[in-house]
Amino acid sequence: MQGNGFKVGAVIFFLALSAWYLFPSLRGLSLNNRLEGMSQEERVDYERDNFSMIESIKEKSLNLGLDLQGGMHITMEVGLRQLISELAGERRDEAFDEVLAAADARSQVESVSLIDAFVDEFENRDPDASLSRYFRSEVITRRSSNAEVTEYLRAQGTDAIERAMQVIRNRVDRFGVTEPSIQTQGSRRIVVELPGVDDPERVRSLLKGTARLGFHLMADPGELNSSLQRIISYYEVDVAASADSVEADEEEINEEAESDTSFDVSQLLADTEDLDDVGNALLDVLIPAGQGSVVFGQVSVQDTAAFNALMADPEVQAMLPRDIELRYDANPSSASGPEYFPVLAVNRNMELSGEAITDARVDFDPTTNQPLVDMEMNSEGARIWSRLTGANVDKNIAIVLDGVVYSYPTVLGQISGGRSQITSLASQAEAEDIVTVLKSGALPAPVEIVEERTVGPSLGVVARKAGFTSLMVGLVIVVLFMIVYYRGGGMVADMALIINIIFILGILAGFNATLTLPGIAGIVLTIGMAVDANVLIFERVREEQGTGKTLKASIDGGYSKALSAIIDANITTFFVGIILYSFGVGPIQGFAVTLMAGILASLFSAIVFTRIIFDYAVIGRRMSVGFG
Amino acid sequence: MRIFENADFNLVGSRKSGYILSGTLILLSLGAIVTRGLELGIDFRGGMEFVVESSQVLEATAVRAALTSVLEATPEVKTYSDVGAGGRDALLIRTPSEGETTEIQTMVVQGISDAFPGSDPQVIKTDVVGPRFAEDLKRGSLYAVLGSLLVIFLYVMLRFEWRFGLGAVAALFHDVLITLGIFSLLQGLIPFSLQIDQAIIAAFLTIVGYSLNDTVVIFDRIREYTNLFKTEPYKTVVNRSVNTTLSRTVITSGTTLLVVTTLFIFGGEVLRGFSFALIIGVIIGTYSSVFVATPVVVELHSRSGSATRAVRR
Repeated sequence: MQGNGFKVGAVIFFLALSAWYLFPSLRGLSLNNRLEGMSQEERVDYERDNFSMIESIKEKSLNLGLDLQGGMHITMEVGLRQLISELAGERRDEAFDEVLAAADARSQVESVSLIDAFVDEFENRDPDASLSRYFRSEVITRRSSNAEVTEYLRAQGTDAIERAMQVIRNRVDRFGVTEPSIQTQGSRRIVVELPGVDDPERVRSLLKGTARLGFHLMADPGELNSSLQRIISYYEVDVAASADSVEADEEEINEEAESDTSFDVSQLLADTEDLDDVGNALLDVLIPAGQGSVVFGQVSVQDTAAFNALMADPEVQAMLPRDIELRYDANPSSASGPEYFPVLAVNRNMELSGEAITDARVDFDPTTNQPLVDMEMNSEGARIWSRLTGANVDKNIAIVLDGVVYSYPTVLGQISGGRSQITSLASQAEAEDIVTVLKSGALPAPVEIVEERTVGPSLGVVARKAGFTSLMVGLVIVVLFMIVYYRGGGMVADMALIINIIFILGILAGFNATLTLPGIAGIVLTIGMAVDANVLIFERVREEQGTGKTLKASIDGGYSKALSAIIDANITTFFVGIILYSFGVGPIQGFAVTLMAGILASLFSAIVFTRIIFDYAVIGRRMSVGFG
Repeated sequence: MRIFENADFNLVGSRKSGYILSGTLILLSLGAIVTRGLELGIDFRGGMEFVVESSQVLEATAVRAALTSVLEATPEVKTYSDVGAGGRDALLIRTPSEGETTEIQTMVVQGISDAFPGSDPQVIKTDVVGPRFAEDLKRGSLYAVLGSLLVIFLYVMLRFEWRFGLGAVAALFHDVLITLGIFSLLQGLIPFSLQIDQAIIAAFLTIVGYSLNDTVVIFDRIREYTNLFKTEPYKTVVNRSVNTTLSRTVITSGTTLLVVTTLFIFGGEVLRGFSFALIIGVIIGTYSSVFVATPVVVELHSRSGSATRAVRR
């Protein structure tokens, strides 16, 4: 029994760790059960009241792959070919186009990035030619070496991905999906995962296409405020008329008294709780803005769909000031809890297209050291810009990309010459975001969908059940087999097996891995293979017993002699897991992860845990353990 | 309960019959792969795949005929089991058509509901893989397979010696080749898809890892016994090693076979091809550990004639 203290401690430690990581998932399960038992309204209320708790449970729970919960997985690719073309602009010639086409063809069959292929092809064609004759920027001059140009192109490629990410993130946000995931993959791909989405047509049409950047005027604050009031009262009357509860009528009288007198917004903000009870459909989802602003109000993330539906009413649309439409701000204002998006009133007509922008960069005010954005325009754009800013001093101009407002600076005075600055920015990050957006006017980064996998929610449920059934049946079969074949030893191995599964799930939750159907298959496979270590040990113990050794000596011999085979056999499988993980995608990675987790967990439970039990039983309690 | 206790089969002596069996299987597999080919799934070929649920049972051939004119291409149509939401039936439709996913999807749904009024078709699963993406997946899988074989060869060489490395890798090629051959032979003959996709590659790599597992356990015993019985002929020592580990080999294969069969039966359509590959792989992998990997070591040993060299532990 000597020296087992450490082993016992390790087992307890890892079990506790697994329990710690799995606890949120268990809470998530019970939460789901509770939510399913509630009516629609109770559910909404409950979710609102316990927002932060639910968020934290969701965040820490074992993630289910899209194949298990239904949803959409999309891989998009940024068109680097168009980007390089655009960068060269008018300096392109026939040779350039030929080289680019050849590079594009090559990058499709070889694992080489388009930019590298392009430079390579170019140098192959004429080793003395200089790439700098096609590109011009702050950093690239006539004398720039090909290496510098390559560096520049790479940087532009990274920027393009970033811009595309920005656009996609916004398009996805507008969709109102819970827990979307948007990640880059390699140098030119973006992977979007949308759990629970079941209308792929809408997602497809939303995600593809080049984003358009433009400058728009905004609504007159006074006009906007009166529109806001009219729309609010429209929804008040509407609801009161349709609801015939007495309580609502009473409340309505109070409300009417209030709205007869001047409409005090701050009062209204304070009263939103009460208004909720009235059921003003609009105020349920919108926090109206104060007077004298181009902001219409604020809408929380999960209410955007409801708000859009309310505003889509043609009668409501008619109440907005002429030519004005409502657009979301790209940046949510989130204090704590759910994020709120400001809704801005923007003129429908684009005053100036983003194509006029030639450059944009982050700079700092030399005196205050505040971040600012420098923007340059071509001569045609500068002319329009000068007229536009001249006529709108002290008003806001919205920078709209893809229907979302990224910034709406106030015009301080007429700007001629095409160089403008955007100041009073909150942070350098904000300045960088604006630069990214402005650049997409000069260099659009078209994206196309290269892979799409959609699983309907009903199919997800079927897959979940299939996975669970396989897991249970596999487990029961192996557990029974071990008891029948190895008797007492088999029971110990079975305990190790159960602990093993807890460890695997704990590892998955701890590393924030995603459980997919192939992942469950990996666990099932591990169940079959995990007993292998114990089979190896038990067979050795039987051999040792066959030579007439005592039980204790046989167990000692069995464990020590089987060890090298166990380690060698598992390390090779672990290597395969690593390789699968690095080359596979999505569900296959899920398989690789559970396979690797399974090997680690089974090594530990089969070697360390079972040994503790045997030592305790045989040496500590002088019990006799049979090995069949 | 005990099986193969004190087993004493002349396994090394009968390795010739193993060679004949393996040789035949490999020739058959190569023949099948060359003549029948392997059916690539959309992961590696690109294309679109829809699973369409309908409220009435639709004949796959009739649906294919109806959709051929709509899509102006011949789609593959297969029944897709185990959806069972409210007893609705489902079909898997694979089309080589190119174009907008939404457009093709509408054409498929419209085509079915026109040809079979009242069937209420609904798409419940979509897989679209662009040609370039498919090319990338193919390349990634190839690298994964080659990378695994190389890593395994190097590891076994480091831990044992080069003869063992070669033996292990020979067995792995044997396993993957025969599994591929069986896939090629059976495709179209059994009621589920045997297309080669990412999941099948994952299954192959698992087979590689699994088969190696068995091989390494036997090699480990050979390594131990060569040091223990230095006076006995190499073949006898190897034969004894295989026999003493035989019960373990059979039991572990047995439990693994049980669970992969469970997956095959209960895991649903998505895992069917995958678990089928694993079933074949486990059987072939167990066989090859005894009849391919070990004999290769014996042959190499008697060729190179070197005496029992001290082997690293």
